[in-house]
Amino acid sequence: MNTRNVCIWALAIGILTSCDNDDDEVIDLPEGDYEKGIYVTNEGPFNNGSGTVSFISEDFTNVEHAIFSKVNNEDLGNIVQSMSFDNDLAYIVANVSNKINIVDRDTFEKQAEITEGLNNPRYFVAIDGTGYVSNWGDTADESDDFIAVVDLTSNTVISSISVPLGPERLLVNGNTLYVTNSGAFSTNNQISVIDASTNSVTTTITVGDMPNSMQFDNAGNLWVLASGNPGYLGETGGALSKINTATNEVVNFDFETTQHPGSLGIDEGIFYYQMGGAVYKMDPSDDTLPTEEYISGLSFYNMTLNEGKLYGTDAKDYASNGTLSIYDITTKDSMTTLTMGIIPGGVYFNE
Amino acid sequence: MLAFGIRVFVNMAQKTFFLLFLMLFGSGLTIAQNDSIIQLEEVVLSDARLYRFAAGIKIKTLSDSLVERTNPTFTDMLRFNSSIYLKENGYGMVSSPSFRGTNAQHTAVVWNGININSPLTGQTDFGTLIPQNYDRIAIRSGGGSVQYGSGAIGGSIHLNNLLAFEKHYDNVLQMGYGSYNTQNLNFKSSYGSKSLALGFGMNYVTSDNDYEYLGREQKNENGEYHHLNFNIDAGYFFSKQLLLKLHHNTFFGDRNLSGTLTAPSDDKYKDINTRSLLEMVRFGNEKLMKFKLAHLFERYEYYANKNRPDYSLGSVNTIIAGYDHKQAWGDFTLNGLLDYKRIEGKGSSLEDAKRNQWSGTLLATHHATEQFRYGFSIRKDWVNDFESPLLLALNGSYKLSDFYLLKTSASKNFRLPTFNDLYWLGAGNLNLVPETSYQVELGQLFKVGNASLELTAFYIDLENMIQWRPNASGLWVPQNIQEARQYGLEAVLNYKKAWGAHHLELDGGWAYTRSVDKATEKQLLYVPLHKINGSLNYSFRRYELYTQALLNHSVYITTDESNELPGYTVVNLGGHHNVLKLEKLSLKMGLRINNIFNEEYQSVAYRPMPNRNFLIQIIAKF
Repeated sequence: MNTRNVCIWALAIGILTSCDNDDDEVIDLPEGDYEKGIYVTNEGPFNNGSGTVSFISEDFTNVEHAIFSKVNNEDLGNIVQSMSFDNDLAYIVANVSNKINIVDRDTFEKQAEITEGLNNPRYFVAIDGTGYVSNWGDTADESDDFIAVVDLTSNTVISSISVPLGPERLLVNGNTLYVTNSGAFSTNNQISVIDASTNSVTTTITVGDMPNSMQFDNAGNLWVLASGNPGYLGETGGALSKINTATNEVVNFDFETTQHPGSLGIDEGIFYYQMGGAVYKMDPSDDTLPTEEYISGLSFYNMTLNEGKLYGTDAKDYASNGTLSIYDITTKDSMTTLTMGIIPGGVYFNE
Repeated sequence: MLAFGIRVFVNMAQKTFFLLFLMLFGSGLTIAQNDSIIQLEEVVLSDARLYRFAAGIKIKTLSDSLVERTNPTFTDMLRFNSSIYLKENGYGMVSSPSFRGTNAQHTAVVWNGININSPLTGQTDFGTLIPQNYDRIAIRSGGGSVQYGSGAIGGSIHLNNLLAFEKHYDNVLQMGYGSYNTQNLNFKSSYGSKSLALGFGMNYVTSDNDYEYLGREQKNENGEYHHLNFNIDAGYFFSKQLLLKLHHNTFFGDRNLSGTLTAPSDDKYKDINTRSLLEMVRFGNEKLMKFKLAHLFERYEYYANKNRPDYSLGSVNTIIAGYDHKQAWGDFTLNGLLDYKRIEGKGSSLEDAKRNQWSGTLLATHHATEQFRYGFSIRKDWVNDFESPLLLALNGSYKLSDFYLLKTSASKNFRLPTFNDLYWLGAGNLNLVPETSYQVELGQLFKVGNASLELTAFYIDLENMIQWRPNASGLWVPQNIQEARQYGLEAVLNYKKAWGAHHLELDGGWAYTRSVDKATEKQLLYVPLHKINGSLNYSFRRYELYTQALLNHSVYITTDESNELPGYTVVNLGGHHNVLKLEKLSLKMGLRINNIFNEEYQSVAYRPMPNRNFLIQIIAKF
């Protein structure tokens, strides 16, 4: 169909006021060479479609979109939730598709997939040849949430560990696995501590409502940032919890009821998080929460820190391509903003 | 004879329209034959104002034979026979129209004169309508909120049941069996005398709907559906001046919601809809008074996992009471309506949802001369939730010659926020205001011999559109934030020829639609720039052969126009043979091949549509 002709004709009879049909130019790069650079997982449209992974070269000058489907000629799956490295491989979790695609981390060529034994998978982490996947289970069932244990030689789920509602983020310290249980579509406030040598839960620690991120400080303490509940679940304020990993003793830093922080990151031993359109900075040795905004006027869907830089994703209207903005965390200067796929979330560094 | 009524453009003389009814129902109008046209219209059709107050309005009435040879789905009937674009979440699943580039909430569905769009979602799922259930289906293009209320912006779809007061007893039984174990059964019975008219209809449609995805090793999983529908229509003349009418419709739907290419599904959706309308019509000298009482009920159960007993639900009860007064002074007709509507909604995610709505409407039409007729109308609603705007419409037609007619209309219309927008637990926004539209159109109708061509240009300006977007704290809430403009051109072509026992009819439509977000100047999601539909129908004695084609331009699936779904062309082919034709019994056998060229296409991204498939039909009339 020739749009231009139609426009000319329509204009001739004086009905249409404007005719435009411009397409944005996208420059594609040669595929298959992703040894050094940044991967960004894009969740993709919610109802129907596939998430994608974008690749950004180390110097931020080259961007390549939808690299998994380019290299492997297939879709990653619906709602690409997260990605995780283990040795030469990368594990990409597609939530609604109940699927983990395993690719070579430098070429993105598909090696294998895990499809059995998952139900609403969220995050993946590997400890010594064993994979752990947080799963919400059936969202109508509040007691079937679990961590799937995967044999990474055969890529099959060999057992599961029952955990409280809404297991999400995973963080490893030696042989200990920490899981935030944030409540899936409801709310929760638990951290499960799992011994990876026995695959059993050793203890459960209570933190703030809806924990969303975790980091270790240089002294080995586990810090958990919780957003607090939104209004429709009975609004509560966020909380930052410092957990002594030896004694599991908790010290809480409470936010105001209307404050809902997220995206706890660490750089050079200093914490950063975002809240209400600003980034805050906190030294783990501080006795109180910071009151001053470190960088103002930023609102990210997700925020990641790495080697002196802050990477913030913007999902825009959730129905178009989002962006990744990169800031120098010391000078606070914006370095670049790059177009990503639909709902960019996780940022991962292949170094 | 029915072929004569295949297309009723309202610009045709009203008298012609009346004659058509006379032809259809023969002596059945004797009771009122000494009375005026406004009364006769009302006897047959509860929604008589659809045609009466329509000078300059584009209305297309779908013929019985078209409905008869159509697929079991309403969606297919519309997408092959109108300029309306429909997107289906997989075949047989939730189906939503885009009329003139607007969204599904801007298409009002009107059942026997009553707007039946769901107060929860503001739209009607076209997957739940069965075409064989209605005697007359009409498509009214353009703004119609003054007459039909909230959401009549792109246009409205009218589902009417007719009453025939003549001595008759007719039955139609239609059975079909097709690919994917698709079965349908339609039965319609009609009885009448001079003072009594009765109608009964029943429809059952079921399908495994497990078609192969073309070019892939996957099939449509979890797509099976079962639909059951009943309707009852009755009319009784207590005296020459007093007529009582009843229309009722009950629909049961039981559908699994099919998966996508990347996501499996085990969702299930069950719903029930009942609609009842009782009317008492009092005829006077050149005037008519009508009392109306209606009840609408809808309830859905959504199962996130069909293997579990848990479900979420929503239900709504609507009661409507109305008074309608119509009076004619020669060529001038005035119609005043006063309606009260009480809506109560309940649901797993709804807070106490109630609405009281009063509406006052005044419609006027004047057939000034044989060539020139015009109308104007005004409406105001008083709603407890918010302020509702004053609505206006102006329309007229001018016949310059026997082969050229000019039509125009301008209107202000509205769409009320839905109960989901207002009362959704944790997200509902009570500060919403109604969406409003200003729109204008210009139509030209050319007629030469057996051919007609209608060209319509339209412009819609939509304000305060309600969109769900995350607020400052990341919660998704509805907000009046989008503004859009829609403009375009529609062409409708019809050609008929008869020679000897041969009959040929060609029907075609082309729609060019720009639907633009004013903030970004980008085309809105799922609005094709071009849509072309066409059908060719040929009959010879007892044989009938037809083909239908649909060309759909690509559509954007992201708001920045960065991703699009490719266009497609789908062609169907079918035929009927009237194997038996006796005085009291006629039997037709039919075969229909859908998507004959096996086009691989998606109506909604990642949801492939069916490959080539077959349907065998038997139609018995007795």
